Amino acid sequence: MVKIFLCCAAGMSTSMVVSKMRQAAAQQGVEAEITAVSMEDFDRTLPDYDCCLLGPQIKYKLDEFKTKGAALNKPVSVINSMDYGMMRGDKILKEALALLAH
Amino acid sequence: MSTSQAFFEFIENTITPIAARVASQRHVMAVRDGFIAAMPFMIVGSFLLVFAFPPFSADTQLGFAQWWLRIAKEYQGQILTPFNMSMGIMACYISAGIAYNLAQSYKLEAFPISMLGLMAFLLIAAPLKDGMLPASNLGGTGIFTAIIVAIFTVELVRLLKAYNIGIKLPEQVPEKIRHSFNMLIPALVIILTLYPLNLFIQHQFGMLLPEAIMAIFKPLVSASDTLPAILLATLLCHILWFAGIHGAAIVGGILQPFYLVNLGANQAALAAGHPLPHVFIEAFWSFFITLGGSGATLGLVLLYMRSKSAHLRSVGGLGIVPALFNINEPIIFGSPIVMNATMFIPFVFAPMINATIAYFAIQAGLVGKVIALVPWTAPAPIGAAWGAGWVMGNGILVLLLIALDLLIYLPFFKIYEKQLLEQEALEEQDTPEHGGVAQTA
Repeated sequence: MVKIFLCCAAGMSTSMVVSKMRQAAAQQGVEAEITAVSMEDFDRTLPDYDCCLLGPQIKYKLDEFKTKGAALNKPVSVINSMDYGMMRGDKILKEALALLAH
Repeated sequence: MSTSQAFFEFIENTITPIAARVASQRHVMAVRDGFIAAMPFMIVGSFLLVFAFPPFSADTQLGFAQWWLRIAKEYQGQILTPFNMSMGIMACYISAGIAYNLAQSYKLEAFPISMLGLMAFLLIAAPLKDGMLPASNLGGTGIFTAIIVAIFTVELVRLLKAYNIGIKLPEQVPEKIRHSFNMLIPALVIILTLYPLNLFIQHQFGMLLPEAIMAIFKPLVSASDTLPAILLATLLCHILWFAGIHGAAIVGGILQPFYLVNLGANQAALAAGHPLPHVFIEAFWSFFITLGGSGATLGLVLLYMRSKSAHLRSVGGLGIVPALFNINEPIIFGSPIVMNATMFIPFVFAPMINATIAYFAIQAGLVGKVIALVPWTAPAPIGAAWGAGWVMGNGILVLLLIALDLLIYLPFFKIYEKQLLEQEALEEQDTPEHGGVAQTA
C-alpha cells in the first residue's frame, strides 16, 4: 500500500489529476491511497503519506517542501507540466512509484 | 537571441523568483491563510445580504418582488444581524486567523496565541463604551489593523520566548496549566504596549489606532481601486502564469486586504443607502478578468473543442468542465500556454481588455458594483451576477466578454493550431508515439 498526496494552490486542479491516478492504480492493480490538498495543508498532510507531488504551478515551493520532506525522509517532487496539463494519471503514478523506489 | 526571447528569459529568471520569494514569505503566507480561515463566515454572511437588499427596483410591478421589498424594509435589522456578526466584524476573525497561522509557522502554541491576537485587536479597535463594543472598526476598516496587530502579537510572543522571559512552572505541573501560564506575560506586555499607544493617539489626534492606520493606508487603498492598478495587477498575474507559476495565488494574496476593505466600504454604503464607492473587489477579478481561469481562457477552450489538431481537441475535452468553474490548469499546462510565445499576447491582453471594458461598464452604470464575497469557483456569469447582488446585467456582460475573448484568441489559436498540425503530420510519418507535441514555439 503506497500513500501519495498531491499539492497545489487550492487543491482543485490536482484533485482532477488524483481521480485519473486512482483509475490508473485500479487498472494496474496497484494498491494506493492518493489524495489532493492545498498548499497550506502540506505540513498537516506530510506525516501521514509516503511522498508528495507538487502541481507545476507551485514549483516555487519545491525547495521549502523538499526540506520539510527530507526531515521525515519523504520524497517531494514536481509533476511534469505536460503530464499535469493532459491529466496523464498513469504516467504521474509511475513517476510517484519511481520516486518511492529510490 | 531575439528581444522576445530575452524578455521571456527575464520573466523566468528575474520576475518569477522574486514573486515566488514574496509569496513564500512567512508573514505573507500567514496573512493569506488567515484570510482563508475567515472566508467561510464572510461568504455566508455576505450571501445573506441579498435578503435585506432584494435585487429589484422600488417601482417593480412583480407582486412577489413588492412583498420581498416590504419585508426586507420592515425587518432589516433582524435580517442583517447574521451578516453583521460574520462579515460585518470580519477583522476579528482575520486577526485570530493570522495570529494562529503565524504562530504555527513558528511552531508556537497556535491556539492561545490566536486568542491573544484577538484580544490585542479588540483592545485597540473596540474599546468598551457604555456597556457596548463599538463595531465600526471591526469590519473592512479594521483589516489592516488586524494584520498589523496579529503579526505584532506573534512576534512579541516569539521575542519573549527567545529571551526566556516568562513564568516558569516546575515540570510536575500539568502541561495545560503550564501553557496557560505561558500566556500571562505576553498578554500583559501587549496591554502595556498597545493600550498606551492607543490612548496617546486618541489624545493627540482624536482617533483610535485603527482609524489612524486606515488614514495611513487610505492613499494605497484609493490607488488600488483605479484602472491602472487593476491592469498592473492583471499584467503581473498573467506574466507569472506565463512562466508556469500560480500568478493568481500570488497576486491575489497581496490584493486580498484591499478587496476586503473595498468590499466592506461598499456593503456599509449599501446598508446606509449611499452610492457604492468601489469597483475593484474579488468578484470583479474572478468573473470579469479571469473568467474561466487565468487568461480568460473560456473562449479559447471553445475554440479548442472544435480544433483540427487532435492535441488541442483533447486539451479542450479535458479542460471544458473545469473551465466552467474557473479552473484551467489543463489549458495552461496542456496546450501548453506556459512559455509558448504564440499564445503570450492573447493570454496577457485578453484579461486586461476584459478588465478595461468591465471597469468602464461599471463606471457608466451599465452593470452593478460588487457587494458580496463569492467563491471564485462559481461559474463566471452566475458569480458575476451573485457578486453584485444578483444583477443580471453583470452576467450578460460576462457572456459578451467570453465571446470577445474568443475573437481575441482566434488569430493566435489559428497560428498555433497550424504549428501543431504540421507537427502531428510529421509524427504520423515517424511513429504513432505521442508526447513530443508539447515543445513548440
